[in-house]
Amino acid sequence: MSTHVQTRARHRIGLAPLALLALLLYAAFLIYPLVQSFITSLTNRNVLNATNAFIGFANFAELVHDERFLRSLGFTLVVVLFVTVVSNIFGLLFAMLLNGPARHYKIMRTLVFIPQVLSGVIVAFIWRSILTENGLLNSVLQGTGLTQQPISWLGTPALATLSICVVVSWMTIAFTTVVYTAALQSVPAELHEAARMDGAGPLNRFCNVTLPMIAPGTTISVTLTLITTLKLFDVIAVLTGGGPANSTKSVAFYLIDVAFTSNRFGYASAIAMVLLALTAVLAYGVTYLLRRREAHL
Amino acid sequence: MTATVLALTTALGLSACSQGGAGSLTFMVFETPALDAKFWDTSIATAAKEVSGAAIKKIVSPDADRTKYAKQLQASGQFPDILASISPKDFAGAKLLKPFDQKWLDDNFLQPTANAIGGETYIPPTNSQIIPLVFYNKKIFADNGISVPTTWAAFTAAITKLRAAGITPLELAGSETWAASMPLVGLASADVLGKDPAWIQKLYKGEAKLSDPIFANAMQKAVDLVKMGAYSPAALSVDFKTANSNFLAGKSAMYPMGSWFTGSSYVSAAQADNIGVFPWPTDDGSVVIPFNVGGTTSVSAASKNVDAAQKFAQAWSLAPANLKVLIETDGAFPMMKKLGIKDFGATVNGLYNSSYSYVTDSNTKVSSFGWVNNDDALAPGINDSFYALAQSVFSDSDVKKQLTKLDADWAAATKK
Repeated sequence: MSTHVQTRARHRIGLAPLALLALLLYAAFLIYPLVQSFITSLTNRNVLNATNAFIGFANFAELVHDERFLRSLGFTLVVVLFVTVVSNIFGLLFAMLLNGPARHYKIMRTLVFIPQVLSGVIVAFIWRSILTENGLLNSVLQGTGLTQQPISWLGTPALATLSICVVVSWMTIAFTTVVYTAALQSVPAELHEAARMDGAGPLNRFCNVTLPMIAPGTTISVTLTLITTLKLFDVIAVLTGGGPANSTKSVAFYLIDVAFTSNRFGYASAIAMVLLALTAVLAYGVTYLLRRREAHL
Repeated sequence: MTATVLALTTALGLSACSQGGAGSLTFMVFETPALDAKFWDTSIATAAKEVSGAAIKKIVSPDADRTKYAKQLQASGQFPDILASISPKDFAGAKLLKPFDQKWLDDNFLQPTANAIGGETYIPPTNSQIIPLVFYNKKIFADNGISVPTTWAAFTAAITKLRAAGITPLELAGSETWAASMPLVGLASADVLGKDPAWIQKLYKGEAKLSDPIFANAMQKAVDLVKMGAYSPAALSVDFKTANSNFLAGKSAMYPMGSWFTGSSYVSAAQADNIGVFPWPTDDGSVVIPFNVGGTTSVSAASKNVDAAQKFAQAWSLAPANLKVLIETDGAFPMMKKLGIKDFGATVNGLYNSSYSYVTDSNTKVSSFGWVNNDDALAPGINDSFYALAQSVFSDSDVKKQLTKLDADWAAATKK
């Protein structure tokens, strides 16, 4: 056996334990809970007692008619759509504004990134102090005479939904800005220069040079924003508690309620499975479409 | 050889643990401005002295919903040995709690069966609350020539008069569902249980429905309050802390809230002088008091040392120092057989004394709807649905439709 072949064989064997460990961890912490959750979703398991009978797909059938689940699903999709669109548009905008080599741009980028560093709970507490009856926003509006009465930003279903959309967008814009900044920095300056020499204006250069070049960044940013928002829980828990009248309960929030308030673990697992499937389908679908777009650009 | 020594040492160690002392017990508590970390640490240290060899490990619930947290701990195999102020009905049904000895309850408490579920008591009935009372600003009432209302008609007339004067009639911490529910709790307790104290039991037996006229008419009054402008337009954006400060600052005239509001954590003695209190009004003026007998410590039936856990729970419940703090800061009304209010040496304000008179006076006391720890506790998950109803009356005035949904929730929760 040649030295070269021996080295390759040793190299392969050397990596095998690491790969095995990774597989074991993946199986223990992802595959096993997933399978366990699916099995639980086929039962009427109660969180507190020994009830654990197999009931087939009855939990999934019930979900189809569960008005609260459907409402939470509708609310979640509204937030996902709003946040994904808004945070990506503003993320790209901020990234373009901050995409400079100068020192103060680095400071600005850091400032923009701060919401991403803060936990959702802290962000929600900050915004709650802004949006409550006596909060900063109402004080400004009333102080400037724009409104006479305080506006119930968190107390009417439509405004509470909008408030959550804005707060979550504010958080995620930080992430999308960083992704787009990284993507923009990979665009060769020569391309812009060549386009400029060809007489292309700023809009033309943005559409025909920048957007195609940052397409992979767009795919990553849109997909991850979508996945993050689909499992939204912490901001809602602090900001509205799912209210008013359950109007801002996300699917994840409803899942926790069903499991630990109504004690229905089996049903909660069915919700978790649907959320997982929905996330997978949407993430795959969006990625597929954006990858096709990348190929076209 | 080494493995054998290690195994023997471990076995001996485990044997020693199981034979001597109480070992380590976990105690799930919750912290509030009134019941802070220092209160729990001190009270735990005092009660632990009564249980030889007990090391109490405190687990703090991350939020006020300690029942939900206890369920999370149960689901992950970490159910605590002792639990503070949970709703015991769910857990008792699953036989997760150890009942207290009836003789001990009879010997020490004024109403030894007040917290009984199926004849067994899982929370010592140490203290009580009235949920809600209506607190009012004496100066605003006097300035507007309003007398303390004793009937529903007088109450709504006062609301109309205050609204016309540009004053917010009722304060509401509407963003926190439990607090938003106060008017509904008052209505359900006074108008439904005041007329039929066994109504919740009828609900369990399937002999009554939440959409029945008796309950629906009471809930309709909640819609009427919204329509007559009883609350701030942004009431559902107000949290509990802000509602307290709004009311104390005179921004609103009345505040339906639990009797804990009389405690020094909420009002100073000076502020209390300007606050009066009356029971939630009924149509005919009869006095109905929505009563909740509370307590703190429940014990896990699955505890590795259930006797020590129960001994600790009993010691904690009987310690006068603990109840003194609860009286002063949280407005608790003591229900101890061997200790009268004066025996605690607690400093209380005039508002506390006025409210306490509704406990000691002869009147119709009924379960505070959605708050009690006994057989009248609602089915799992229904409290949350009921609290949500308190918020939905602001945007949806179709009471019948909402109560039909609540009936469906009840049926699912009780499998009827």
